[in-house]
Formats: sequence, C-alpha cells, structure tokens
Amino acid sequence: MDKALIKKNGRKSKASRFARTFVIRLGFYFLLMALSFIFLYPFITMIVKSLMTDDDLYNITVKWLPSQATWSNYDIAFRRMRFRAYVWNNVIVCGAATVGHALSCSLTGYAFARYKFRLKNALFALVILMMIVPVQVIIFPLYKQYSDWGWLNSFLPLIVPTFFGMGLNGGFFIFLFRQFFMGLPYEMEEAARVDGCGPLRIYARIMLPMAQAPLLVCGVLSLVWHWNDYFEPGVYITAPAYRMLPSVLPNLYALLNQENHTMIQMNELEGIVFNEAMLMAATFLCIIPILIAYLFLQRRFMEGVERSGLTGM
Amino acid sequence: MSVKASAAGKGRRRMGIDKKRSLEAYIFLIPWLIGICVFFAYPIFTSVRLSFSKIVSFKGLVTAWVGLENYEYIFFFDINFVPTFLQVVYDTLLNTPLCMVFSLVIAILINRKMVGRAFFRTAFFIPVLLGSGYIMKQLLGMGADGATITTGIMVPKLISDLLGVSITGVVQGFLDRITVVLWKSGVQIVLFLAGLQGISGSLYEAAKVDGATEWEMFWKITLPMITPIILMNVVYTIVAFFTDGTNPMVDYIYKMNFTNQMYENAAAMSWVYFVFALLLCGAAILLMRRYVYDSGAKN
Repeated sequence: MDKALIKKNGRKSKASRFARTFVIRLGFYFLLMALSFIFLYPFITMIVKSLMTDDDLYNITVKWLPSQATWSNYDIAFRRMRFRAYVWNNVIVCGAATVGHALSCSLTGYAFARYKFRLKNALFALVILMMIVPVQVIIFPLYKQYSDWGWLNSFLPLIVPTFFGMGLNGGFFIFLFRQFFMGLPYEMEEAARVDGCGPLRIYARIMLPMAQAPLLVCGVLSLVWHWNDYFEPGVYITAPAYRMLPSVLPNLYALLNQENHTMIQMNELEGIVFNEAMLMAATFLCIIPILIAYLFLQRRFMEGVERSGLTGM
Repeated sequence: MSVKASAAGKGRRRMGIDKKRSLEAYIFLIPWLIGICVFFAYPIFTSVRLSFSKIVSFKGLVTAWVGLENYEYIFFFDINFVPTFLQVVYDTLLNTPLCMVFSLVIAILINRKMVGRAFFRTAFFIPVLLGSGYIMKQLLGMGADGATITTGIMVPKLISDLLGVSITGVVQGFLDRITVVLWKSGVQIVLFLAGLQGISGSLYEAAKVDGATEWEMFWKITLPMITPIILMNVVYTIVAFFTDGTNPMVDYIYKMNFTNQMYENAAAMSWVYFVFALLLCGAAILLMRRYVYDSGAKN
C-alpha cells in the first residue's frame, strides 16, 4: 500500500475521528441513560409519589415533581406498619438465614468440588433439581410438615432449612461454592494434609478463608432474597407478632384496594388518611435497610461475582 | 487421627484411601443430606402422592389412590388452569430470549471504561433489591387494580397519532414487556458482567493487531467465549420466571392450596407446571450444548 495513501487517510481522519468518537460516545451515554431510566423508573416513581401531598396526588398535572415535598407520609407509614417492630423480625430472620446459607452451602459445595465419592453425580443432580423445583410445588407438604412439628407462626421454618443447605435458593448457593472451590489449586490442601491437618480443619482454616468472594456473593444475595421474600413467610406466618416487613405490605395494599378505586382514600383509618403516597412511603421504607446495605457492599459484591468463578463453568 | 489412617493407608491398596476420602466427603455432606431428605425429598414424595390421590383424613395425611383423576380435573374441568398455563408458557418463551439479549447488551455496555460506572452498575441492580417480592408485583400492576403504578414507558402521543391504534398497541405491548423483562434481569446482567471480565484481554489485543473491528470482535470472541454463561443464564431465567411471585400460575396454585383448599388438584397442577419447566430447561440445554465453548479445563 502507498505510504502517501496511509498518510492521507491518517491526516484526514484526525479531525473526523474525533467527531466520530464524540458522536459514538454521546450515543453510548444516551443509550445507557435511557436504559437506566427504565431500570430506575419504579424506584423514582416510588420516591416521588411517597413525597406527594394529597393535593398533588389529585392533580394530574403533577407527575414528577411534587409541588411541595412532604415527609408526613413517611411518618404515618412508619407508625402504621409498625416498622420498628417488624424490621427486627426481618433482621433476625435474614441474618440467621444468611449465616445458615453461608455455612451449609459452602460445606456442601466444598465436598462436591474437592472429593470423589460414590453417587457423586446422582447427588449433584439432586442439587440441580433443587435449583429447578420451585418451592410452590412442595409448599403444601412443607406446610403440613411444619404444622405437625408446631413450627408455624415462628421463624423456624424460614431459618432451620438454611442451615441444612436448603431454604430459599439453597441449590444456587451450593452451585456457587462448588464452582469456586473447583477453581482452586490442589497443592495447598495436599500440603496441609501431609502436615497432618484433618479434613474439617483444612476446610475451616484453609479453604473457607480463601472463599471470601463467594461468601460475599452468597451473603448479599441470600440477604436480599430473604428480605424480599414474601411467599414462604406469608404461608407459614399468620400471627401479627411474627410478620415480616414484606408481608405487612399486602395488608396495606388490600386496605387501599378495599375502598373504591379512587386515587385517594378519604376514609379515616385510625384517624389517618390512607392514600397511595403513604403506601409508596411504606414500600420504600421496606427496602431502605437493604438498599443501604447494598450501597456499602456494591463494589465488593461485583468483584466477588467476578472472582467467585461462577462464570468458569 | 487422620494422619495415622493415611499412613496406614499408604501400605494398603489405593482403594483404602478412596474409601476414606469418600467417607470424609459424606461427613461434609451430612447436613445437606439431612436437609434434602427432610425439606426436599419427603415433601416431593408427599406432593407426588397427593397428586394421584384424594385426602381421606388430614390427621397423618391419610390418602386414597385415585389414579389420574386430579390431572383429569385440572385439564378438563378447571376453566382457569389451561389458559393460565398457556399464558405463562407463552410469556416464558418470549421473555427468556428478550432477557438474554438485553442483559448481554447492557452487560457489554457497562463493562466498558466510562464515567459513572459505579452508578450504572448500581442502577441496573436496583430491581433485584426492589424485589423479587411483593413490592415488584404491585409496581408491575399485576396485583389487584386500583392502587398500582402503570407499567413503564408510554408511547408518546405524537408517535401514536402517526402510527394509528393497532400499531401503537403492538409497540406499547412490546415496551411493556421489555420493561417487565428488564426489571427482572438484574442477576443475569451481573452474571454476564462477570463472564465478560473473565475473557482474557490478550484475545482482544491480538484481534485488534490483526485489524478486527469491535463488531467482529463481538461475534468472534465475546459471544463464543460467553456461551457457557448464556446457557447458565437461560436456565436461571426460565426457573426465575417460572417461580416468580408475579407469575399468575404460581398465584393460582397458591390460591388452589390455601383459599380453595383443593390440595390434591394443586399438587397435580404444580407437577404439570414443574415438569414443563424441566422440559424447557432440558430443551434449552440440549439445543445449546453444541454451541457452548468448552475450555477443556474441566475434569
């Protein structure tokens, strides 16, 4: 190829290349903005609605910016849903369940990744099956079982299974740990074994400390999923004292839906006007704790997913 | 103690060590084995049994075998089951590919170096935090009507005037679906993102030296390298859609169980439902296995 041609092209593109990359950049950011708007839409709506006064809710010209932000909805929602009482239920259950998943699933995943044993493939097929069978399929037998054991209206049915590697998405977490442990080198284990370290100690002292990435991923996901889950708590727990936050919401929604389907409920319930703004405030309150927790863990969580080897299947 | 055993094992055949290792593995597996028997296998057994029988007495769950009667009932007498089921099947078949395409595109977009990367990453994960749960269900407007936010984006008035009612309807339907799908693809995006990070940079460098464009690199490097994650994501997505709280079929099974208290029919329903999900996952795996890149690192 001619040197002149290359030179010419090079010179020509210097200005146009800048313009082109600029346009591409612009389009790229525009696309990202648009997509993230769709993702944030429910979130933004929720916050905006929760700050509205009754007048703003009525006024159809007010869509995004409330004419004046009011915090009273949060105040009412906070008291009405008895946030302070229920949030502790959530913290206890989610905390315990997360610990349970981290312990039992890492143990199981380790065994599947590092040992050869009889029936290994058959048992691992069971893990896959655990991931695929929805809890809805076995909800009645489980309910019956727990009711026979007297576990209904307590946190036991939500917590105990997680310590045995079951519970919400237990199969997924076992899979996660297996993928991670499969990627680790064998030398460390062998060295420890030669030095006379027992298998349980190898696991607890060597493998588990190395497994920070999947532990974090398991922790975050288990926490979030348990926090938001309302299906199982809704089935097992009917006593008000043991309700979890997301199961308080359906009652609020039902109260609102019971009335005629206007925007604002003028009925005084316990002396409080019950409206959509309050509902949104209540909904937002439910996810605030988990949101804060996630914001702190966000960066490490992403790193954790990348390093957990989930993707190296 | 284990030192002694392994020292003694050295003298014996390999079989001894294997057996010992096997035993160790089972010690690790004890909690899970107990769990799977008590909280999984037994309930499944009960559920299967229920679907083929009638409950005679609730005390101790005494049942009488009736064969396929419950299945006959749900297919031929229950007016809601078949339409709801077909709706869910239709939705899943449509949503899964959409979800894959969009989450892969988004993952590729936010994998680049750019301003505000952390913000975007958080933004795309927010629906996961918001909920697999009741909150999402209400926001999506699938609960009782009245107090729900309408779904996503509307077609602008100007465009809808230009296009006419029927086309706008199609576009609006598509937009609604996209919104729903996007809100449920947080985990998939994270998995894709991790997969993209796992692709060795030297491949791209080599391609760039050879003069490949980004477009070519996507088709020749990114896509083939990411196939294992696509497969995993497809299975995950199918399962997630099937077990989702916003799913009308799940709602119906729940209602059948705890409102109508027709446990036998509900069991039959959930089995039809589950077997279909299983078939779908199996079909996806079989179809895609040929295309999945195998690094050969696996034993």
